[in-house]
Amino acid sequence: MHFLAYIVRQTGKNLRQTWGTQVMTLLTVTLSVLLFAFFFLIYTNMLRASARLGDDLRLIVYLDQEIPEQKRPEIEKKIRDFGPVEKIIFVSRTEAFSRLSAQLDKEKDVLNDLGPDFLPPSIEVYPLKNLQDLTKISQFSDFLLTLPHAAKVQSGSDWLRRFGDFTNLLQVVVLLSGVLLIISMTFIISYTLRLTVVSRQGELEILRLLGATSAYIRLPLLLEGMLQGFLGSSLGLGALYLLYQWIASRFSGPGFLNLFDFAFFPPELTAAILLASVVLCTGGSLFSIRRFIRI
Amino acid sequence: MYYYGLAVIRRVSPVGSKKVFHMPRDASTDKPLVELVNVAKIYPPDIVALEDVSLRIYKGEIFFLTGMSGAGKTTLIKLICRLETPTRGLIEVAGRDLSRISPAGIQRMRQKIGIAYQDFRLLEKQTVLQNIAMAMEVTYASTKAIHARVDELLALLNLSDKRDKLTGELSRGEQQRVALARAAANGPSLLLADEPTGNLDPAATELVINLFRHLNEKNGSTIVVATHDKSIYAETEHRVMDLRKGHLSAHPNRAPRQIELFEA
Repeated sequence: MHFLAYIVRQTGKNLRQTWGTQVMTLLTVTLSVLLFAFFFLIYTNMLRASARLGDDLRLIVYLDQEIPEQKRPEIEKKIRDFGPVEKIIFVSRTEAFSRLSAQLDKEKDVLNDLGPDFLPPSIEVYPLKNLQDLTKISQFSDFLLTLPHAAKVQSGSDWLRRFGDFTNLLQVVVLLSGVLLIISMTFIISYTLRLTVVSRQGELEILRLLGATSAYIRLPLLLEGMLQGFLGSSLGLGALYLLYQWIASRFSGPGFLNLFDFAFFPPELTAAILLASVVLCTGGSLFSIRRFIRI
Repeated sequence: MYYYGLAVIRRVSPVGSKKVFHMPRDASTDKPLVELVNVAKIYPPDIVALEDVSLRIYKGEIFFLTGMSGAGKTTLIKLICRLETPTRGLIEVAGRDLSRISPAGIQRMRQKIGIAYQDFRLLEKQTVLQNIAMAMEVTYASTKAIHARVDELLALLNLSDKRDKLTGELSRGEQQRVALARAAANGPSLLLADEPTGNLDPAATELVINLFRHLNEKNGSTIVVATHDKSIYAETEHRVMDLRKGHLSAHPNRAPRQIELFEA
């Protein structure tokens, strides 16, 4: 009990002795976590959106004339032979017209002057959900274009490619901010502890002469690093949560956020970021302790 | 030539008082608390601080180590608490070879050894209480126990009114007494005092001697005093040995009754 009380008391004493530096360190850790978590949050949401888009993926083959009922099984077989497909729907001109009409709802009057034959017939191909590779989608698309009466294939692969490129770019940003987080945390904490050690040099020397054990001297410094990691990451994640709430309240309703179903980190991931920050800061403390304290 | 001092049969107060200590012992059968065998310390390039020093200090003994400045007294004290390592020879404390004790073991040992340094080694920006408390805090003593002990020691050394003063604001004599109080704080098994009365007037010296006597009687502490202050060992019947140019010998003015020497 006395041991723990001492460790806590000494940690408090260290923090008070170098409070200016401690505040700066806390701010740096907070900003690093905020920066990393911000990009990471966008990245995880983009990944989820990307997965959902993949789930909704369908290839539409526009035809220059309708496929007769008796020929449909043959075409369907051809498609299934090329690749795994969840379902294939043949859409006639009339069905296409009624769908559009239903979509327009109250505005369907605009279609009055147009005949029910103005839309082309089509085949809707829904690949299996594991088909997310853009190259394979492109190959599938090329194959569909070889089907009889195929005029055009719409796969949305260009859009998916652009989305994928953006996600990849975000991945790089997340990695870079992660590296920045590691460097800033370990170095800043290490530097701060070095200042603590320097400011207590005389005291540490006397403690050594009085028989202070390694744990007695090192544990408060280690706890100092852990505290900085915990407080800094808590503040950083807290700030990000507030930012998220603000964005969610400002941009609620149909729009970008709804499109992407923007969500905050799940509790496990929040805990993991917190733990990683604590581990990084403790690592920085250990480095400093090993380097500057000789007991 | 090896010299071992035999503990005296009757022990008296070092200064004036004729109080008899109840420490009859037969040193020849007792295990020494501190033992040095053929110890030499040579500082680079070739400054000989100690040369072939052999010595036994027994549990409960008060031992005076005299000699002029530069004779090697401080070096000997530092060797006993392993602040220095010997160039040659064996040093044992409580039967353990210091060269074989791990750094953690040395730290634990130092908790049981009180050391009053010649240069005090106090933190001048901390109070008297904080300075003395440090010695007990490293043993994780409770705050209550620390405060009680500090008050007791300050009363013994007539420093009660200085408890909350910064040590940097004290006189040299007061600082010296604070350093002694810190060395005595844990009721050490072994107290090493390097020139403990160097800055003290006779009245303060008497207080220090009383502290030593108190520790020796109450805790059975072994006390090693390195000094060139004749006033604290002139009247004593405790063992007094002299260091001269790194060589240890019986003090020239000691009666054979008090210090018996034999060749090992």
